[in-house]
Amino acid sequence: MMNQRSYAEGDDVDFVIVGSGAAGGVLAKELSTAGFDVVVIEQGPWEQPAQFTHDELAVERELVMFNKAFEPKQTFRRSASEPAALNGHGMLYRRAVGGSSVHFAANYWRFRPSDFKECSMLGPIAGTELADWPITYEELEPYYTKVDWEVGVSGAPAPNDPARSRPYPMPPLPNKSSGVLLERAAAKLGFHAQVSPMAINSRPYDGRSACGACGRCAYYGCEFGAKSSSLVSMIPKAIATGRCEIRTDATVSRVETNAHGRATGVLYWDKYGREQRRRARGVIIAANGAETARLLLLSTSSAFPHGLANSSGNVGRHIMFNGYAYTTGRFEHPLNEYKGAVASRVVMDFYESDARRGFYGGGGIDARFPYGPIAFAVNGLPDDLPGWGTDYKHALRDYYTHSMRFMSHLTSLPVATNTVTLDPDHRDRWGRPVFCLTYTDHPDDMKAKHWFQQRTQEMMEAAGATRVWNPPVLPIDGGLHLLGTARMGNDPRTSVVDRDHRAHDVPNLFICDGSSFVTSGRGQPTMTIQALAFRAAEHITRFARSHEI
Amino acid sequence: MLAGCARETTHFERLSPAEARTMRAFAAQILPSEPGSPGADEAGAVYFVDRALGEPFFADVVPVVRAGLAQLDARAAHAGALHGFASLSDADQREIMQKVEGGPFFAAARTLVLIGTFADPSHGGNRDAVGMRIVGMEHRPSYATPYGWYDAKTDAERATLA
Repeated sequence: MMNQRSYAEGDDVDFVIVGSGAAGGVLAKELSTAGFDVVVIEQGPWEQPAQFTHDELAVERELVMFNKAFEPKQTFRRSASEPAALNGHGMLYRRAVGGSSVHFAANYWRFRPSDFKECSMLGPIAGTELADWPITYEELEPYYTKVDWEVGVSGAPAPNDPARSRPYPMPPLPNKSSGVLLERAAAKLGFHAQVSPMAINSRPYDGRSACGACGRCAYYGCEFGAKSSSLVSMIPKAIATGRCEIRTDATVSRVETNAHGRATGVLYWDKYGREQRRRARGVIIAANGAETARLLLLSTSSAFPHGLANSSGNVGRHIMFNGYAYTTGRFEHPLNEYKGAVASRVVMDFYESDARRGFYGGGGIDARFPYGPIAFAVNGLPDDLPGWGTDYKHALRDYYTHSMRFMSHLTSLPVATNTVTLDPDHRDRWGRPVFCLTYTDHPDDMKAKHWFQQRTQEMMEAAGATRVWNPPVLPIDGGLHLLGTARMGNDPRTSVVDRDHRAHDVPNLFICDGSSFVTSGRGQPTMTIQALAFRAAEHITRFARSHEI
Repeated sequence: MLAGCARETTHFERLSPAEARTMRAFAAQILPSEPGSPGADEAGAVYFVDRALGEPFFADVVPVVRAGLAQLDARAAHAGALHGFASLSDADQREIMQKVEGGPFFAAARTLVLIGTFADPSHGGNRDAVGMRIVGMEHRPSYATPYGWYDAKTDAERATLA
């Protein structure tokens, strides 16, 4: 742990921030740099990059990087009329300084102008609460650029990219064999494969080393410090201001409010299980789309009987995960996809929704092979190959280094009955209700998955795969992207926060993370979460300086 | 580090000597040893399984594995084996494997063998990086370009053009 400022209970603090992840890290860095005193409350520990390992058993099977290892219980049901049970994939995120940015794959796609105004462009969609964002791409663009330069993104512009005000700060990472094959497929079919923008250093940048191409990005922490997680990009700068304390292993139980309906701070359990209070002039929640919703729902009072900032009833509603579908292929020569970053090329030709397809939805298609050898040996081969014996062993040799996926990353529609709520029957170690996820894919989301799997199959064939196979297209029962549960909007009756991330109902409460999303984008949300956080920090700074908090 | 010594160990923490013999034979059926190409037995998968049976994470599978190993031996005895599943011929072992293939024991024990073969050696298996050799991985903490055949070819073509 770094030497950091420590605030005593009686010290005045400007902001308490719940969560130190993709959004919380940016907010902590920006607000402390602007001269405010900031305390960040983080549920998990503070690790150092040197602690991260390539241990596939621990990381991928025992899920030590996820909340599941610490609080395994979550419940799931398809609809509110069903009993919820302890099953489903769960909502997966990391409890540690840096949050899920520690283990993300670091795909840093910007949203496109259409993402912010799809309701106006396409019209309403039955069974959904599709809405425009209260901000535009043009308003967010300067903050995307801030993420590029301050967090650290490598890439190269492509012809149909949304406008950017500055080039990428770093050139692309090396192209992988899967990227070369995606380029080949795209060229044959008349599409364009472009460089995948990645929050990974392609050269030494900002005092951190370049990527060592170890191949362990997704689910793993980066021991090189080359992956631009909040842990290594934002948090050290926040601490260096001398105005930021990260309080680790501390779990917030509620946001406290006073008789005037203002937030006064938070209550939390410290690492010894003692209840503590941290008062602050303003409270910022950046705890992810699951935790943020739960904290608001738990922070009830006589003035806020249905949860804090929930007069619209939309806290916890509209959860979106991003759909996906893929095709796997085997090639004649080795690809060795276990080396290098997750993806090096992506096809964005199907990004926009197109009414001629007969459903709402769009996405990007990249090339990747997310298998360590354990996972591949257990269930990575096509189903018709043997699962044991000499032929099986030979198949592992023939397929592991020669295979990859074309994977689509897709929209999820905002549906009011897809929710995170407080489970009435199960409690976590603190006695808080565990998450209950209620989720059914909108029919258009399922159609999109099937349609995109046809595209990935065509592309795999065009790439020259000697063997092509598809997994079944499955409905969602959990996931990593936790979006939409405290949506932004101009109308307090239909949204939780305003265009500046201020809660409509509580003037000194700000909420900024994946929960702010109005629509899901196309599968890579972190770039937008951080752009929103940079923008929110600027507005919060302005409000604080003009005594409007 | 001590893999070479540990392999000679005949002492197991959780598996009885009979269970360990049967488990080794089962592992060798999952990923057989071939001339010049070691399998799950050389990887020491059984040592991982022995350790895993004491780990809370694998607690659910312990009774399944124990019962399944006993059943392999019972089936072997029925087929005339005097010293359990391991003493059967390869063909007879495979016949029994086919009979139990769809059951819960097979799935659980197979997964343990595969983890033992491919997991980080600190878990007790994957000795001499046998797992990496089986799938054809270079076992290094980081890698240089080119990564694979197709990007190497593109780089070479680009160099020729330049």
